[in-house]
Amino acid sequence: MFLKKAVLALQALVMGAMLGGHALAGPVVNSGHVESELVAQEAGIAPGGTIYVALRQKIAPGWHTYWRNPGDAGEPTKITWTLPEGWSAGDMVWPTPVKTRLGPLLDYAYKGEVLIPVPITAAANAQPGTTLSLTADVFYLVCEQVCIPEQAKLSLLLPVVAGTPAPDPKWGAVIGKVLADAPKPAGLKAVFKLEGQALKLAVTGGPLKGADMAGAYFFPYSSKVIEHAAEQAIERGAEGLTLTLKPGYDFVGGGTPPAELVGVLATKAGAWEVTATAGEALAGASGLGPPPAEAAPGGALAGGLAGALLFAFLGGLILNLMPCVFPVLSMKAASLAGHAHEAPKARLQGLAFLLGVVATFLALAGALLAVRAGGAAVGWGFQLQSPLVIAGLALLMLLVALNMSGIFEIGTSVQGVGAGASAKGGVGGAFFTGALAVVVAAPCTAPFMAGALGYALTQPPVIALGVFLALALGFAAPFVAVTFIPGALKLLPRPGGWMDVLKKGLAFPMYGAALWLVWVFAQQTGPMALGQILAAGILAAFGAWLYGLAQARRAAGRGWALTSGAGVLAVVLALGLAGAAAVAAKPPATTAAAEASTPSGPGLTAEAWSPEKVQALQAEGRLILVDFTAAWCVTCQVNEKVALSGPKVAEAFKAQNAVLLKADWTNRDPVIAKALADFGRVGVPLYLVYPKNGGEPVILPQLLTEGMVIEAIEKAGS
Amino acid sequence: MSITRRLVAAALPLAAFVPAVAHARPAPDFTAIDADGKTRSLSEFRGKTVVLEWTNEGCPYVRKHYSGNMQGLQQAARADGVVWLTIASSAPGKQGHFADGAAAKAWMNARGAKPTALLLDADNKVATLYKAKTTPHMFVIDKTGAVVYEGAIDDKPTNKVEDIQGSKNLVAAALGDLKAGRKVATPFVTPYGCSVKYKDA
Repeated sequence: MFLKKAVLALQALVMGAMLGGHALAGPVVNSGHVESELVAQEAGIAPGGTIYVALRQKIAPGWHTYWRNPGDAGEPTKITWTLPEGWSAGDMVWPTPVKTRLGPLLDYAYKGEVLIPVPITAAANAQPGTTLSLTADVFYLVCEQVCIPEQAKLSLLLPVVAGTPAPDPKWGAVIGKVLADAPKPAGLKAVFKLEGQALKLAVTGGPLKGADMAGAYFFPYSSKVIEHAAEQAIERGAEGLTLTLKPGYDFVGGGTPPAELVGVLATKAGAWEVTATAGEALAGASGLGPPPAEAAPGGALAGGLAGALLFAFLGGLILNLMPCVFPVLSMKAASLAGHAHEAPKARLQGLAFLLGVVATFLALAGALLAVRAGGAAVGWGFQLQSPLVIAGLALLMLLVALNMSGIFEIGTSVQGVGAGASAKGGVGGAFFTGALAVVVAAPCTAPFMAGALGYALTQPPVIALGVFLALALGFAAPFVAVTFIPGALKLLPRPGGWMDVLKKGLAFPMYGAALWLVWVFAQQTGPMALGQILAAGILAAFGAWLYGLAQARRAAGRGWALTSGAGVLAVVLALGLAGAAAVAAKPPATTAAAEASTPSGPGLTAEAWSPEKVQALQAEGRLILVDFTAAWCVTCQVNEKVALSGPKVAEAFKAQNAVLLKADWTNRDPVIAKALADFGRVGVPLYLVYPKNGGEPVILPQLLTEGMVIEAIEKAGS
Repeated sequence: MSITRRLVAAALPLAAFVPAVAHARPAPDFTAIDADGKTRSLSEFRGKTVVLEWTNEGCPYVRKHYSGNMQGLQQAARADGVVWLTIASSAPGKQGHFADGAAAKAWMNARGAKPTALLLDADNKVATLYKAKTTPHMFVIDKTGAVVYEGAIDDKPTNKVEDIQGSKNLVAAALGDLKAGRKVATPFVTPYGCSVKYKDA
């Protein structure tokens, strides 16, 4: 055994000697925090030939040196060559750097070991058989907490050989890999476009197709084109990706916008040199949303698909209890009670309700997926970000409430008025109830749904739809169960006069729902449009009354067509007016500014959220609670009233010098959508507590209590 | 209100379209304690040209310029009526942090530094407000309170004293432009140096 080992070792030694002996490397110079040497890829150089000689640096743990664009501070490593007559050195080949965050600053750096190859070309008249000395004066800034300029005078003895030189036995492969990994142009198409305070960089092409885009980042060569420390939001596309950069001095500070944006696009699949020109976004560079969150805290869903389906079903169940569903629940109760003692009819209604819920959920999910595929950063509840939808829903709620109040009837033939809903009308009504319940319930992303939906939207459409289906089934389950379990229906009282009273009483939560939607609408559009939608409401109510009058006249055998027509016309006009108001009203541009000083309650003032604001406050060591909210999200409103506006919470905030930031998603906002995605969420509410003196945020539950908030604040402050 | 004043007032928004004005951004006001323990604010110097200089006495780039270059600039600027505020933003425990005004004054005396005031910004408030990135990081604020120059002190981004010779001092150039009533020719050059030692860095 020992003999065998010894023979092998001897063989290796002989082989090494035959290959040209020792590795080509110069003496190592230790300048304090960096050990430097020159190493060669080949064991020699041919006359007139070019080989790579690399500066190899071993940087002390915790310290870093700098890339060609050092970022916000620092200085790139420099090499000054002293070469024999007629020899030349080309440009340094910079490997992809790493991001080094220093409070609010971001540097582009190297850590650990780095090799920077440089092409060296020998003079054509170099004599084979001679050995020449290359000298490099290397200057570098090496920083940890403090920065120290260091330098090293390095040398390498390089033999001139006839013919193609052999690779260096030790460094040949190493330098070969560095060169292979170094960012190079790869025929990628790239364009940039300045959109207000966002610089969109769209890149498409071969290696990007289907690549893992998580953590993709653009390192610019120029230090003046972007704000280095700003987040780069990633939007995937079928052919590539779009990064949203924060433009720097050259774009927004008064400098001259460059003709080209050049730098390195680094992804998990590799890094490439990208040269972007000004232009319109490329096809296939967006549309697939942000990459799946990487192990986002709280966003990681144990059990994958099965877990997501289960959570979606539970979420759907819980959705029945959410405040936004209550008015619709009341409708369900009313219609269910109407068939309490006719089991087959009740079952039919249950199935119709189920169908309505499932169809609407899938339609909404399909629309959501389609819109996201179209490139818009939207999340669940997106339908309520459109004032047009809100206006329509508000009028719909009003009409439903008027119907429940008995102003007019739906789904009954005129002869049937007062004779109770026919089976046919009941089925249609149940389907409609299911559809309406979903539309209104959607913004109440119940606690169990958040993770499941976040998971769903990062999956292929089929799986996403599966999750939504589970959600729909969970949502419809209690109602359907009641209609199918024989004993359950018996528990309900016999139909009678009380039903009409119940129905009319339950109309009031519906009026409340209509009012709430009008309030949301006002948040989205402003006072002018508010006036218009109120007028539309009156008009719709008048129309409904006329229609009801016509029904009564027809029942009494009198002329009804004119009144009925006028009623329908009034309702149509009301819808038109509301629609016009919604379309004409632009989202108030001042929302964010106005929001900044909106007090959330006595003594506690919320400031407007932005990623930069969080960074700046963290830099100050402040404790931060971020409230991701929207006017149309009832859970959010309830939490704000119940848990975030009391004097005790304000006191706790004051004691910890904490800041409340509010990210208002009432209107569409890609930055907020991206932030939600970072935590594996696609909807509000989301509550984050950033601890004092920096660090990762803690996610609070979606249903808050005052005690919970105070506890979280105190914990984060200790 | 006279008709001329009304006209001027009406035309004010148009000023935003004049390129020279469009580039200047208002210098945010701040207050800080100086080395003498006095509270100073930017607004008290309204009507004067102000230079802000971010410093960190341990930083090699700062030391490069405190070989005489920075002191010379300070003296020349103040002789022209310019206010010079040196700001030390290193957080406690970080390089360049001054424990108190006395420590800061001892450093100023040792170096012969002659700013109008040295401001202690250990809580990074002023640095955060100005997004100060490096030491040195220079700002020139004109008499109307607009930032007319921001960035590097000169065009040789190194820490070698010998590079000062033959470099173009961008702060001196901006002050020269202001004095001559010209638009500042170079309003921005990427700042270079050590990172400002923020407290969470």
